[in-house]
Order: sequence, then C-alpha cells, then structure tokens
Amino acid sequence: MNAIALNHICKSFGSFAIQDLTLEVPEGTICGLVGENGAGKSTTIRLLMNALRPDSGTATVLGVDTSSPEFLAVKEDIGVVLDEAYFPEVLSAAQVGKVMAKTYRRWDDAVYQSYLDRFQLPQKKAFKDYSRGMRMKLAIAVAMSHAPRLLVLDEATAGLDPIIRDQVLEIFNDFTRSDNHSILISSHILSDLEKLCDYIAFLHQGRLLFCDEKDALLDGYGIFIGTAEQADSLDPDAVVARESQGYGGVRCLVRRSAVPATLTLERPTVEDIILFLVKGVKSV
Amino acid sequence: MKALLLKDFYVLWKQMKAFLVLILLFSALPGSYNAIFAVTYAAMLPYSCVAYDERSKWDQLAAMMPYSNRDLVLSRYILGWIAGAGACLLSLLLQEGFTLILHQDVYPDTLIASFFVCLSTLAITLPLIFRFGVERGRLIMFLIIFLVCGSAGALSGIADSLSGTLPAPVWLIVPLSLVLTALSIPLSLRWYTLRRR
Repeated sequence: MNAIALNHICKSFGSFAIQDLTLEVPEGTICGLVGENGAGKSTTIRLLMNALRPDSGTATVLGVDTSSPEFLAVKEDIGVVLDEAYFPEVLSAAQVGKVMAKTYRRWDDAVYQSYLDRFQLPQKKAFKDYSRGMRMKLAIAVAMSHAPRLLVLDEATAGLDPIIRDQVLEIFNDFTRSDNHSILISSHILSDLEKLCDYIAFLHQGRLLFCDEKDALLDGYGIFIGTAEQADSLDPDAVVARESQGYGGVRCLVRRSAVPATLTLERPTVEDIILFLVKGVKSV
Repeated sequence: MKALLLKDFYVLWKQMKAFLVLILLFSALPGSYNAIFAVTYAAMLPYSCVAYDERSKWDQLAAMMPYSNRDLVLSRYILGWIAGAGACLLSLLLQEGFTLILHQDVYPDTLIASFFVCLSTLAITLPLIFRFGVERGRLIMFLIIFLVCGSAGALSGIADSLSGTLPAPVWLIVPLSLVLTALSIPLSLRWYTLRRR
C-alpha cells in the first residue's frame, strides 16, 4: 500500500500553479521532497493534508481519500512539522502537552516528556522566547508523541545545530524501522535527505520532474570531468547538464546508460544531481 | 473542541487577569454602564484569540491536526458565550457585594440583557472575522467597538431612567440574539471553509 498517493493534482493561485502532480510514497519508506524556494513543496504538503482543496485530481493518505470525512480520523495517524506554522506564542511546552493530550486520542505524555528531556526544552518557558531550533524541536516532540504512522515534515531540520540535526535524523530513521511507518520530508539540506531517504522527489516550478529511488538515481547518473572538447564528443542525449570549471575545463552530469562503460565518471551526490537539473545548463 | 478551548484559555490567561481586574473596577463604580460594558466587552475576547492565532500562524498548524472546521468555528462562539456569561455572573456577584459597602443600586435585569447583547455582537461580527481575518478586518473591529459601547450606553441609559426595570421591547433582544446566532454559525462555517481553500 502507498502511504501517500497524489494523482494528477492541479492547484492554481494565479501566478503560481501545481501542475499535474502525481506522486506515490510506498508504506515503510522515506521520501525526500526537494525543490527551490517557491517550487511548491509546502503547497504539496497542504494539499495532501487537505488544508487546501485541489482544483482537480485526487489525494489518498494511508489509504483514505483526503477529501472524505473519514480523513479527519486519519489525521490522528499523521505527525506534522511545518516550517513556519507554530504553536500560540504565549504557550509553554507543558501547556502545549496538555492541549495535545486533548487533541490526539493516542497522546502519550511519557513519550512527550522523554522528548522534552532529550531535546533539553524548558517546560515553563513561553514559546515566543524559544529559538528557532527549540521551536522545531518542540514541533518534532509533538509530532512523535501520538503514535503516528506517517510523518509529514516541512523543513523540520532547518535551524537545528549539526549535533541535534544528526540526533533528529536518527529519530526519523528509527521511526521507519516499523514496516508501516513512512515519512515525507522536504528539506533544503540535501545531505540530510541523502542520508535519510529511500526516494527523492524533485519539484520545480510546481511540476514534479522526477520521483525515483535514491540508489537508482545515484546509480543512473555520473559526473564527467574533462575538457570542453572531450565533453563535446559525448552523445548530446547523454549530457543532462554542463558547467564551466574555468581554464577550458567542464563538469557534466551524464546518464550512465548513454555513455560508454569505459568512460571514467565520478559518483554524484543528490545535491550534484539537483543543482545540475535546476541550472539545466547544457552548453557553456 | 476541548483542546481548542483549553488553548484559548491559556492564550487569554494573561489578558484574563487584566479583564478580571477591569470587571472588579467596573462593578465597584456607581452606575450601571460600567458593569454592562464589562459584560459586552467579554464578547471581544474571541477576537483576541483569533489575532494571537493569526500572528503565530497556529491556524495553519491546526489545519493539519484532527480538528474539524466545525470545531474550529464553534469553539470561538463557545469561548465568547463562556466569557459573556462569566462576566455577567461575576459582575452580578460583585455588585451585590459592593451594594453592602457602597449602597449602590443593582440592576440584574440589565446585566442579563447585556449578556444577550454580547451574544448578538458575537453573532454579527464573528462571521466577518472568519471571512476576512483580523488583519484585513480592522473595520470590523470598529463595528465591534461601536456595538459594544453603543449597546452598553443604550442599555444603561434605559436602566438608569427606569431604575433598573427594562421595558418589555428590550427583551426582544433574547429571541433576536438566538436567531442571529442560529444564522451566524452556519455562515461562519461556510466562510471559514471558503477562506481556507
């Protein structure tokens, strides 16, 4: 079963539109949603949580149509961390816990307290006095404390220092040890996604350019480094994007299947692939 | 619903302390206007909550949680009703208490009528707040202030001139406020849903 299935979703806001978005996240996997600012990542998350109604297309989360009344009960199974939406600023962590205990039927206060301790979050301090990192940690603690089956995370690691970020990624990794637990995470920190994700989905200007298994993606591309003349001799269809390195050198993202196996290629990172695709520069 | 009311209570707690002092002061002052103002002012508390929520973008986070639109809308009305009824009861108790010390008149009828004015104010203004939000609805705030002050002034004027006994037509406010509320809630729900889309 798919944890998330978006089927030909369209949503227009005038100057910006999500166009024909079809995305599937299999249950038990972690999918990273990548894209520049304004590519439509947060809008996609709002659409799949039924906080926005699509102009056309359907969305199914944990097997339930998000436009159906039954989806309200399914939200009990989804932990959400949003980039810019927070708890009321006068509330303390202890008060947030009490409100959430009345919000989620499976709220586990012991789990919540353990996360507060682990993240060293003060119980009595007002939310408005928290740093950005502390706010994200509190949001993560809430998302993890009602026994969710799916985590939807919008820039959940932004603002965290590297040590805590690593700790949080480990928490997310542990979460998917259960077969029916899944995560959709959007992030600008592509190295985090490379560490964490099974699938990478790339949104560009409201369109999904690809959603592939991370390993297949990394195996399917290679980085060619050489002279401009050497690059010119490659099959033009094999070269996805190309950039100048100075002194006549070039760096190209190439499809491994379309170049000779004897050609020496470097293994790209997810960041390399995304940056090349965004630039889309085929000739210098 | 309970979660949303608890959240609003926490949000309003600091303001509530000032509000309780205000009721205490108004109830101690001679003349019915002050106590009536305190009750009708209670109708403004849900707007403070909406403003706080918009500032922290809580409404966006709440849309991801298992709250129905109905609960999100209805909780504002219930908060206003509880605040109005609480202020009415407190004013009445305080006025009774102060009567023993200050020998001033108590107008329980006027306070009860002011509670229904509070209901009407909520019924008229909440749908507009749900449609336009607090930021875009500054003009609505003027309407609320006008309704609150105007109603308090009118009621106290009538009460003072008739020594606390309100004429029968004033009690039309009871069915009127109930009809307005019955129309207001579905309208708020409709406009809130439209605004979120």
